[in-house]
Amino acid sequence: MTTPKSNRAPVGSIQCENTTLNLLKANDFVAKVIRQRLTDMLVINICSSPGSGKTTLMQETGKLLKDKLNMAVLVGDPETERDAIRMREVGINALQIVTGGMCHIEAQMILQALDHINLEGVDVLFIENVGNLVCPAAFDLGEDYRVTVISSTEGDDKPKKYPRMFLTSELMLVSKADLLPYVPFSVEAVTKDARDINPDLEVMTVSSLKGDGLEQWCDWLKIKVREKKNKLVMSGAY
Amino acid sequence: MHEISLVRNILKTLEEEFPGRVERIRCIQLTAGLLSNVQPILMQNAFEAVLLEEPKYNKATLQVEVLPILVYCDDCDKTTEVVNYTFACSCGKPSKNIVQGEELLISKVEFEEEGQLINNQS
Repeated sequence: MTTPKSNRAPVGSIQCENTTLNLLKANDFVAKVIRQRLTDMLVINICSSPGSGKTTLMQETGKLLKDKLNMAVLVGDPETERDAIRMREVGINALQIVTGGMCHIEAQMILQALDHINLEGVDVLFIENVGNLVCPAAFDLGEDYRVTVISSTEGDDKPKKYPRMFLTSELMLVSKADLLPYVPFSVEAVTKDARDINPDLEVMTVSSLKGDGLEQWCDWLKIKVREKKNKLVMSGAY
Repeated sequence: MHEISLVRNILKTLEEEFPGRVERIRCIQLTAGLLSNVQPILMQNAFEAVLLEEPKYNKATLQVEVLPILVYCDDCDKTTEVVNYTFACSCGKPSKNIVQGEELLISKVEFEEEGQLINNQS
């Protein structure tokens, strides 16, 4: 019990307010702003554990799509500019988002980053999220599609361990497929577990180093870019 | 998870929603779906840690209610609890139509009522 102030009667009654204050409403609001702003390009949020090969995938995707699609990458890491430097080395228009220790990217960081990257003529904008399968799942960044990368070396039990990430993704890319013969990883088992969570999930296997599956991945991107642009034409913006 | 930033987010949300009244908050109820990845004990610890630097809330307690995941099946017109993260109806049909389990919200706030003024002198 609290001590009442001298000029007040003893207190003790409690007033109750039932609320529905969504704690992610600020992020969701900003994500909506981003979606309204980026109507003329495909936006892909790439998520995975640390070290699954997201940056290498971006590098190889950039090389393959060079003459076909104009791509840009916003890459998030708790510290350092290393990933953006790696991508610029192969000619990709990349901007580093240093989260300052934060375990995920929030929509506000993307909105601010948009003012610091030249997106003129860009067909596809990738957001390479912080390596983490937990927290990024809860944050909408205004993307059209969420792609989760899972490498053959990290084990095929990830979907059931991190269900929300797989639930909120449209595509699962099994990376480092060239190592599949050497590691106890079953593409069939990981697909079954992931589709238990998300029956609509598309699955592809890729090897960024050897090139296997990259064509299928790039075709998927080209189709999604075309769909997004058609949607813009249909909406009468042109 | 990022419990500390969630707790700060809770306090910021309360300040926006109840300006001038936050000192009288005695209990905050948080409703978290299982998919929000919120762990009640970690939220409690984070809440207490943040309160050390936010003395105006030091009479407030936090209650965290975790809700199971429920999916709706069109064929059966019913909801089923998702067990072991298999998103399917009890009839076996897969369903992504989540009706509960993703929420993360402040569902109830209890305030200590302002005491009646005994006289007009302040």
